[in-house]
Amino acid sequence: MDGKSLSDHAVEYGGKKGAQYSEARFVSSVDENYIARNGEFLSIQEKPTKGIGIRVLFDGCMGFGSTDRLDRKSVENLIDSLIRSAKLTKREEPIGLSEEKTVQTRWKCPVKIPFKDVSDEKKRDFIKDLDRSIKKRTDGLIKNRIIFLNTKQENKYIANSDGSQINSKKSYISILTMLNANVDGKREQRLLGLGSTSGWEWVRKKSLKKRIVKEAIKLVKAVKDAREFEFKKPIDVVVSGDVSGIMAHENVGHPSEADRIMGREGAQAGESFYRDLIEESEIGKIKMGNEKVSIIDDPTMRGSPGYYLYDDECVKARKRYLVKDGYLNQLLLNREYAHAFGTSSNAASRSNSYSREPIVRMSNTFFEPGQYKKEELIEDVERGILMNSFTEWNIDDRRFHSKYVGLETYLIKDGEVTDTMIKRPVLELTTKSILKSIDAVSKDYVSRMAPCGKSDPMQPVPVSVGGPHLRMRDIEVR
Amino acid sequence: MERFDKELLKTAVEEATRSGAKEVIAELIEEDTSQIRFSNSSIDVNKNWDRCYLDLFLSKGRTFSLGKKISTLTIQDPDPKKIKEMVPKEVRKLEVLPKSKLYWGMDDDTHSSYPEVEELYDPRIEVFSERAPKLMDNTIQQSLEAGGKKVSGVLHFGKRKRGLLTGYGNGDTYKTSHCEATIRSFHESGSSGQELVVTRDLSDVEKKLYQAGRKAGRLAKKSANGQEGKEGTYDLIMSPTVGANIFEHLLSGANPIMMIAGMSCLKGKMGEQISSEKLSVKDDPLVSGGMNSRPFDAEGTPSKKTSILQDGVFTGLINNTSSAKLWKFMNWKKLKFWVRPKTTSNSELGQIGMTGTENDPRTLIPKASNYVFEPGTYSLQEMISSSRRPTIYLTSNWYTRFTNMREGEFSTVPRDAMFLIKEGEFKRPLKNLRLKGNLIEMAKSVEGIGNKLKQVKWWEVNTPTFIPHIKIRDCTFTKAKQ
Repeated sequence: MDGKSLSDHAVEYGGKKGAQYSEARFVSSVDENYIARNGEFLSIQEKPTKGIGIRVLFDGCMGFGSTDRLDRKSVENLIDSLIRSAKLTKREEPIGLSEEKTVQTRWKCPVKIPFKDVSDEKKRDFIKDLDRSIKKRTDGLIKNRIIFLNTKQENKYIANSDGSQINSKKSYISILTMLNANVDGKREQRLLGLGSTSGWEWVRKKSLKKRIVKEAIKLVKAVKDAREFEFKKPIDVVVSGDVSGIMAHENVGHPSEADRIMGREGAQAGESFYRDLIEESEIGKIKMGNEKVSIIDDPTMRGSPGYYLYDDECVKARKRYLVKDGYLNQLLLNREYAHAFGTSSNAASRSNSYSREPIVRMSNTFFEPGQYKKEELIEDVERGILMNSFTEWNIDDRRFHSKYVGLETYLIKDGEVTDTMIKRPVLELTTKSILKSIDAVSKDYVSRMAPCGKSDPMQPVPVSVGGPHLRMRDIEVR
Repeated sequence: MERFDKELLKTAVEEATRSGAKEVIAELIEEDTSQIRFSNSSIDVNKNWDRCYLDLFLSKGRTFSLGKKISTLTIQDPDPKKIKEMVPKEVRKLEVLPKSKLYWGMDDDTHSSYPEVEELYDPRIEVFSERAPKLMDNTIQQSLEAGGKKVSGVLHFGKRKRGLLTGYGNGDTYKTSHCEATIRSFHESGSSGQELVVTRDLSDVEKKLYQAGRKAGRLAKKSANGQEGKEGTYDLIMSPTVGANIFEHLLSGANPIMMIAGMSCLKGKMGEQISSEKLSVKDDPLVSGGMNSRPFDAEGTPSKKTSILQDGVFTGLINNTSSAKLWKFMNWKKLKFWVRPKTTSNSELGQIGMTGTENDPRTLIPKASNYVFEPGTYSLQEMISSSRRPTIYLTSNWYTRFTNMREGEFSTVPRDAMFLIKEGEFKRPLKNLRLKGNLIEMAKSVEGIGNKLKQVKWWEVNTPTFIPHIKIRDCTFTKAKQ
């Protein structure tokens, strides 16, 4: 039985068994993985996977299950076991799902060069060439260079008992570089992820290699030149898209996830400080920062790591202003939490495999670019720093107390970026203080790929983190 | 478990050998696992996974060569037809692949017997799913009665059957059961307590879950109205949950592959005193009830214990056959040439990707089984009452990240109950601090080891770790000032 027929059968069978809602997601994918260290291949693998993930809502209780046995009987057994568990479960407040428009459609990522049309040798040559370039341009000072290349071709069919049926084809590619620079016993490490929903044509862009090599050169420069610096008073801080991206993701994207706000991730990924804000006031009236601050999560950006046109609950994807002109504007919602908030889903439901439950996720999250040139942000800084990249970071599980440690960071003096590099400056700030301190946003935009982790079992999904430069006033830097 | 057919292993090994693979590992896994997730004191979702797969590791290359060609193939829902179709194709692919310079061969000894491991499988798991929702409802109730206002958590349980056959005829089959729970109780905004249950033995699982629920509830209540912590230097008492997370990062560096990848702060420190002499840790795949206990590893090598730290001295690495050979080659000046490099029985067909799902690539790597700390003499109460200097007691943490893994510089975020201890007594609950440190410096500053081991494995701890409370002097705490 093919995946579509099996999924349709699962939905029908769930209905027959009394499920209020049933949904089946058949996923067939092929992953190719290349791992190389210093140009030598450690592992090359092609991994085909297929299976079906099923959700049923029965008597207000949700069940999710998956199987790699792709026959009617196994799928029926799985649904029976989910319904049996639901019958044993008691909930005072039944789970509901928002009403959404039913859709029958198909969509795919635009691809010029499918991965299967590129030989294995060509893929290996790309990695070898990239490694050679990093080595050469950094005079061999990056002694440990690990490169991961992943290509993924994913075909998905989702059907649900509301009548939606969506076929999709997604092509995804990513490169992760782990670089260890060592100069005279001084060391720095950099993990850089880049990715795209496209075909092999993404790799052929000259800018890709150039960017990775440039980051490697900067890493070596940071090891060689950065020195300890003590800031006795608060200073102005300009952060690049690399840093503003992680701030948008951690400090605003995660707390905007409605399942966190309502406590569903409480035991592991944590809750959200938004809960307190929403209890005290209304969405749209909560001031988060000054009017220059708008933060977007947008899955519809073509070619981006977090690209999709319909989410895993068959809801049409759209651009979402999480913060608009300084005010909390929108949460990230799936159908369960849209129902809880008495609204419609904004298509934030994603799953990273047939074997994982779809949950509320980000896609591409960033500060909306403003009107200034980067230079204009800097020229108005008397004394400060420009933080171009970061190493260590973390944040508490309500997403309020965060820490970002700078990697490539320069001293700004009298409106100019100096050659003085600062070693590992630390921004240990609350979300509120970050958003309130921003007084200017540049118009440039740069992003990278990150695997965003959440839930249990953990299911990292590719997202892009990036954005424009931000200028933050009066910041305590350690 | 009707899909588990030992004959599939034989078919796979024969097919791979006939097709020209020089070394073969066939590992057959069948799993039936379930999960209950709950929050706001109600069950949110019941989950079930049913999967069966055959992993094959294949290699080709001369016995004495610097690296070999390797490949790993996963066959989902395997049957003889799929094996006969897919295996020869994969072996043919090996021909065109470059050598992996990190792979130097597997265990070619023949092993006729394997050690008994206690408490791997409890037959009560077969009907546990019928009891589980009610058990969790009761656990939630216990936590609420002990002081929680709402309870979140997860219960993960199931059974697994594993069969292994290598081209050298090594391997066997066995089954395991598991039950892991995280219970997190919230009292008021910002105040919470967490407790874990990690067991294979279901005889008293009800008692364990209820105790954990009550403990989480008590901690949540006890940590209510926490005061803002002040930055500074404190002595630190780490609960087993915290210690397992931090020491996992240190101990995972006792692995040649991590050293080669620049991810270990233990590189170049073999034989040195790297921690307080109070600290002794073994990798122990035979420990009773260990969540990663097993009679043999992925090469079919009988399991055995390996000392990693003995009285603070870095004594041993986690190895498989390949990494042991590679390590000897890389350290030929220091190691005696006549001593045959030996595996420590830590070979795994481990995931090396980023998704954490079945899509991730796998390869043969050395990986720790269970870390087992040697217990000390202190009870938690004695640790607290003997604290004359300002001390912070951390019960849980998350988001440990490194500035530099090679140097061991990190910070982590305390969460759940955190208390200030002064003059040997609980002074008050604290909130909003961050622990910053260096793995080696912290290990050197271990001052006291608790007398009671607890097995820890959860969202923030991958390697099952039997660890007591640990006291460390002079730790740095920071906080967001603005």
